[in-house]
Amino acid sequence: MTSVNAAFGEVAAERRIASAPLSHVSVELGHLYMEDVEAGPERLREQFRRVAPWARTVRSMWQERVPGGRARVSTCFLVDDYFSRSSSPAELVPMILGTAAEEGLSVDYLARESACAQADDVEPARLVEDRLVADPPPETTGSRPPVQETGWLCNGARSPGNGTVQAMGRAQRWAPPSQNAKRGHSIFVDVELWDEDGPGRTWSCPFLAAVWQLLRLGMLRSDGRLPLLPVPAPDTWPKGWDALPAVVQVNAQAPPFSAYTTLSVLSPRFLPVELAVRTILGQVAVDAEVLRQVAERSESEGVRLEDELVDRVSYVFC
Amino acid sequence: MPVMGEVHTGLLQNSGEIEESACRQVLALTAGETVRVSRRPIVHAVSPDRLTGVDCRLPSATQSRVRGVGTVLSRCAITGGRVAQGSSYVRLTRAEADRRLPWSHYLARPGVVEVLGKAKARDLADGFADDPPPGCLDLGAISGRFLDLAQSSPLLDRRAPFKVPRTRLRWVAESGEPAIRFVLRSDRTRSVLVVHDGAFTPAVADLCEDLALHDWLLTTLLVLLERARIGAVPGPEAAARLAPAVDHLLHLWMPAARLGDAMAPYWESLDRRPGFSRQWQSLVDRVRDQVTVNTLALLSVTAEAGRRRR
Amino acid sequence: MLVFAISDKGGTGRSVTAMNVVYRHALQGNDACYLDYDLGSPTAGAIFGIGAAARGAREGGLHEYLRGYRAEPLRLDVWAESDREALRARPPGSGRLVLLPGSEGGGELSSVDEEVVRRCAQLFGRLDEEFDLCVVDLSAGRSFTAELVLQATARLAHVPFRWLVFHRWTRQHIIAADGLVTGADGLLDVAARFGHDPDELRDRIRFVRTAVLEPGAAELAGLRDEQRAWLSTCDDELRELARRHGVGRTAMLGRIPLDPVLQWREQLISDEDVLASKIANAETAAAFDDLARKIVDDSAWEGL
Repeated sequence: MTSVNAAFGEVAAERRIASAPLSHVSVELGHLYMEDVEAGPERLREQFRRVAPWARTVRSMWQERVPGGRARVSTCFLVDDYFSRSSSPAELVPMILGTAAEEGLSVDYLARESACAQADDVEPARLVEDRLVADPPPETTGSRPPVQETGWLCNGARSPGNGTVQAMGRAQRWAPPSQNAKRGHSIFVDVELWDEDGPGRTWSCPFLAAVWQLLRLGMLRSDGRLPLLPVPAPDTWPKGWDALPAVVQVNAQAPPFSAYTTLSVLSPRFLPVELAVRTILGQVAVDAEVLRQVAERSESEGVRLEDELVDRVSYVFC
Repeated sequence: MPVMGEVHTGLLQNSGEIEESACRQVLALTAGETVRVSRRPIVHAVSPDRLTGVDCRLPSATQSRVRGVGTVLSRCAITGGRVAQGSSYVRLTRAEADRRLPWSHYLARPGVVEVLGKAKARDLADGFADDPPPGCLDLGAISGRFLDLAQSSPLLDRRAPFKVPRTRLRWVAESGEPAIRFVLRSDRTRSVLVVHDGAFTPAVADLCEDLALHDWLLTTLLVLLERARIGAVPGPEAAARLAPAVDHLLHLWMPAARLGDAMAPYWESLDRRPGFSRQWQSLVDRVRDQVTVNTLALLSVTAEAGRRRR
Repeated sequence: MLVFAISDKGGTGRSVTAMNVVYRHALQGNDACYLDYDLGSPTAGAIFGIGAAARGAREGGLHEYLRGYRAEPLRLDVWAESDREALRARPPGSGRLVLLPGSEGGGELSSVDEEVVRRCAQLFGRLDEEFDLCVVDLSAGRSFTAELVLQATARLAHVPFRWLVFHRWTRQHIIAADGLVTGADGLLDVAARFGHDPDELRDRIRFVRTAVLEPGAAELAGLRDEQRAWLSTCDDELRELARRHGVGRTAMLGRIPLDPVLQWREQLISDEDVLASKIANAETAAAFDDLARKIVDDSAWEGL
C-alpha cells in the first residue's frame, strides 16, 4: 500500500474574520452634545451650514481620486447619550435630520455615543482596551510589564515619581516627562481613558471618540464578527435612547457605514480631544487579518491608503 | 535576520486537569478574540496573540550596541488541561530608517522588531543563546508573565498534585539547510536552533512550543522518579509517590501532534538522536513496572492473608 | 505553602530558627526555599555558610528584584554553594534547599507602591509553583516589608500562607508578640485594610517560643533550690500572662530550647553537630524537625 496523505481539520482551531463593507470615506457631520442639541435648531443649523461646504469638497476630491468617479461617501452623525441624557430620539432625531436636509446635507447614519461603550452584548470600548499596546519609551526591554498608570495612556515616559526608595537610600531627583518620537522637544500627552469613581467604569470622551473612529474605519471585530451593524430606521423614532439601535441607517440608499478613511468636521474646541484620540489610535493594535483585508480591497480598486491607521483619519476644524 | 523566542512551561496550578470550557476561560486574554482549541489527538488550547512594545538593546555575542524597536508577540497555551505555557517571539528585520518611527508604524507589524544601525545576523543569534544581560531585550520575562497570567486565573484552585519548577526553552530560527540543535543548558534552561528552508513561518514557533512541552514532560517525569526513591524506600511508598505521574503525566506524550508536514522531520530527527521518545518510553515502563510489582506484592499479601483466615 | 516569619523584637532567634526549619524541611524530602526579606540586614547567606552572600548578594538580590532592576532574583542552591562541609552534599532523599538572598548594602523599604506589590506577588506565586515550603523571613516589628507581604498575599487568593510569630519566654516578649498581632496597626489591623479577613488570618497565625529554658534542663542542674523555686514561679506567671494575651499553648506551634551553639554562633544545626561533634543538643535539632513537620501539618493548624 502506498502512503496516504491524511488531512484533518478542526473548525474550532481556525480563525475566521468577517470583512466589512467599505465606503471610501466616512464624513462625520457633527458630534453634538446634548446641550448643543437642546439649544435648538438654530445652533444645529449653524453647525450644518459650516460643515456643508467641506462635505461637498471631500466628495468631489474622492470623485477625482477614484477611477470612474464613483466615490462612495457616507455621512454620519453622533449623538451623545453617554455623558448626559435628556430629551428623546422622538423629539431630537427628526429635528437633526430636518435641519441637515434644509442645509443640503443628508445624514446617512445616526449613532449613539453610549453604543461605543456597550451595545447589546458587545462592548466596543473593551475590544479597544484589550488591544492597546503601550508605546514603549527607550530602554523598554520587556523585563518589566509596560509602565501603566491604570486607566491612563501616554505618548512617552512620565516624570519619575518618588518610587520605592529604600530606607537610608538616596532620593530620586525630578526629571521631566519625555515624548517617545519627539523632534527635538517633547509634546508629552497623558490621556485618562476611564475612571472608576462612580458605581461602574466611566470611559472618557477621547476614549469613546477613538472607539468611534475605529468603528467607522471598520477595524473592530468581536469573535471575528463586526460588532455594530447598522439597522434600518424605524417607522417612528422611540421615546427612550436605549430603544434606539446603536447605529441607524437613515438613508436606505447610502453607501456602507464604515470606510477606508474618515473625515470629521468639528469645532476647534474639540482639538485637545482629537489630540488625545490620535494618541490612543497610535497605540491600538488592529487585527492583522482585518488590515490585510482592507489593504487587499483598496488595492483591487486602485485606492492607495496610508500605511498607518492614524493617517487615515482626518479633520476639518472650523 | 533571525527569529528568536522563548517558551516557559509549567504544571497548571490546579488539583486536576481542567476541561476544555475552563481552558477557554483561562486563556480568554482579549475581549472579542476566540481561544483556539484543537481536540485531536489531545486538547490543546491557545490564547489570542498579544503584543508587548519594546525599544532597547538587542543581545549581541560581541557586545555591540544594537538597538531594536518593535513588538513582541506572545500567547499562552494549555495542553491536556494540565500543562501551561507562555511563549513569545520576535522576527528581526532591518529598519529602513535609522531612527525611531511613530509607534503606529511598529503596531502595523506585529511580532517584528526592527534593528536600527549595523548588525550581523550571526552576532544577534549567538547573543540570544545566553541569559540576556541587563538592559537587553528579555523575552523570558515576557513569557514568564504570560505563564503567570494563566497560573493566576481565579478558575484554578492552586492545589497542584506536585511541585515542580518551570522550564524555559530559548530558540533561534534562521533560514538555510534544514537542521535542528537541542542543548540542555542547565536543569531548567534549554536552547534550540532551528534552520529552516525558505522564509520563517509561525509553524517554527509551534514546533518550539511542542519541543518545550515534551522536554518539560521528560524533565518532570525524571524529577518524580527521583523523588520516588525506588529501591531506597519500601515498594508501596515508592509506588505511591509515582501515582501523580500515572494520574497526571503519562497520557500527555503526543509529539508532533499538531505540526504540519514541514515541521515533522525536525521532531523525527530529534527522536533519532538523542531519542526523546525512547527515553520517555523507558521512564514510562519503569513507572508502570513499579506500580505493577507493587500491586502484585499487595495481591499476594492479601491472598496469603485470605488463605490463613480459612 | 508560604510561611512568614516575624517577631516584634530583635534578638529572638527568628532568622536562625526559620532557616533551620527550612533546612529540616528539605532533609525531610521536600523542596524548600528561604527568602531573606529582612531587608535592612541581609545576612542569611552567613547562616547557610555561603560566604559569597554572607552580607547579601552582590548582584541580583531581592532588593534589586523588588525595585525592578532585575527580572528575577538570584537563587542560591545551598547544597551546591555552601562552604560548610556538612551541607555540601545533598543527603539522599532530601529535597532542594534554595536561598534567595537580599542585596548587599540593601536597606529597609521606605514605602510600598503598586509596582513593588506586583513584583512581590509575582515572586510568591512562582515560588509556590515549585516549592513545598517557602519561608519568608521579615524584619522585626512593624515594617513596610510586613505591609508589602500582606498586600501581596491579599492578591494571591488561592496560594496558601501562614504566619509564625517568634518571641522569647519573657514578660516583655509575650506582651510584644501579642501587640504585633492584635494591637493597633498590628498584623490583623493592617491585613484587614488590604482586604484580608481578620478572623481567617487569626487562624493562620501561630507563635514559636525561642531560647526556652525547660524546668528540667541540664543548664539548671547547678542552681540552688531557691533559684529553682523562683524560676518555677516565674514560669507559672508567664504561662498565665501568655494565656491572657492569646499567646498560650493552644496558639503555640513550637518551642525551641535554649542551645549554647545558637547563643554563640547562629548556624544550621546538622545531624553531625548533634551526633559526631556533639556541640549541639539533640533536643534542639528535634525541635526544629518537629516545627518543620507541623508547619505544613493541617491538624496542627485547626481553628483555635
